Amino acid sequence: MIRKILIVDDSPISRKMLKSCLPKEREFEIAEAGDGMVGVEMFKQFEPDLTFMDLTMPVMDGVQALVEILNFNVDAKVVVCTADVQIKSINRVLEIGAYHIVKKPPTRENINKTLEMVDDDNG
Amino acid sequence: MTIDDGKIITDEEIDILQEIMNIAFGTAAAELAEVINIFVELSVPYIRLIPADELPEYIRQEIHDVSMISMVEQNFWGKFKGSAFLIFPADAGRVFISLFEEGVASEDEGADSMDILAKETLIEVGNILIGACVGKVSELLGDNVTYSPPSVVLGNHPNDEIPQGLFDPANSAIVLRTVFCFQERDVSGFLFLVTSHESVQWIRESLATFMAQYE
Repeated sequence: MIRKILIVDDSPISRKMLKSCLPKEREFEIAEAGDGMVGVEMFKQFEPDLTFMDLTMPVMDGVQALVEILNFNVDAKVVVCTADVQIKSINRVLEIGAYHIVKKPPTRENINKTLEMVDDDNG
Repeated sequence: MTIDDGKIITDEEIDILQEIMNIAFGTAAAELAEVINIFVELSVPYIRLIPADELPEYIRQEIHDVSMISMVEQNFWGKFKGSAFLIFPADAGRVFISLFEEGVASEDEGADSMDILAKETLIEVGNILIGACVGKVSELLGDNVTYSPPSVVLGNHPNDEIPQGLFDPANSAIVLRTVFCFQERDVSGFLFLVTSHESVQWIRESLATFMAQYE
């Protein structure tokens, strides 16, 4: 079961929206990062069961952060949560190894389904 | 920006609007990419609210050579009401021509027909980007807007100047500075939404409603 979630997004509003979509009946330990570089470092320290990753961010974008996280832990579950819904962008991050894509704005239904997928995969 | 300072929108509202614009422009880019063979490299959007009559000066500061720009205008009506201005380099229309599968003209057809085709292409790109972006903003905020046909208000001619009277001083400009880059073509642009104070008030109420679902 997912216990630790890392949210990487430069927008505090976006992070708030995503957090509010997490099921209230479950308890999670949540860490947040405002850019890809901080996100990668936090991933290494926090060791989340699931990471939500925005793509368009300052300092280090989500694509690069995704690459670095997967280089560190090839089994990392990184869900890209993005407004960039161009087919090329989605295919690119899936090819790199993103676990799943959630289109912004997130909904409770989408986030719940994502958590179920990860939980099922983790047995 | 705070209401206490006599300004019309709070910092938090700007943050929410920024996220909504981010989502809207992502949608717009995807719609454009479905129509023409292009990948739009999106940047972190930047939002400011300024008096509309300060917009020409703002554009001059942001775009160093304003004598070489093309500007597409499209008006929209709903509770969210105003004008959208999409700004490209002056030769963008010609660059976009090659991206459309149909209606491609060659230089052999003459300068006049190329100018017309470049202008029509620019209008079509503007129509898609503005329509999808404004449409998504209004959808997320619970509105439904209608549009005027887009037109090129400035462009293709060096030494065109931004008319000072183009922007009503009674209005506010939501400056969405997304520097979007058409990767294969090295073309970037800006989108500005100019809206009335009345619409800004509606936007503020709608942002609160939008965020209430995330409380």
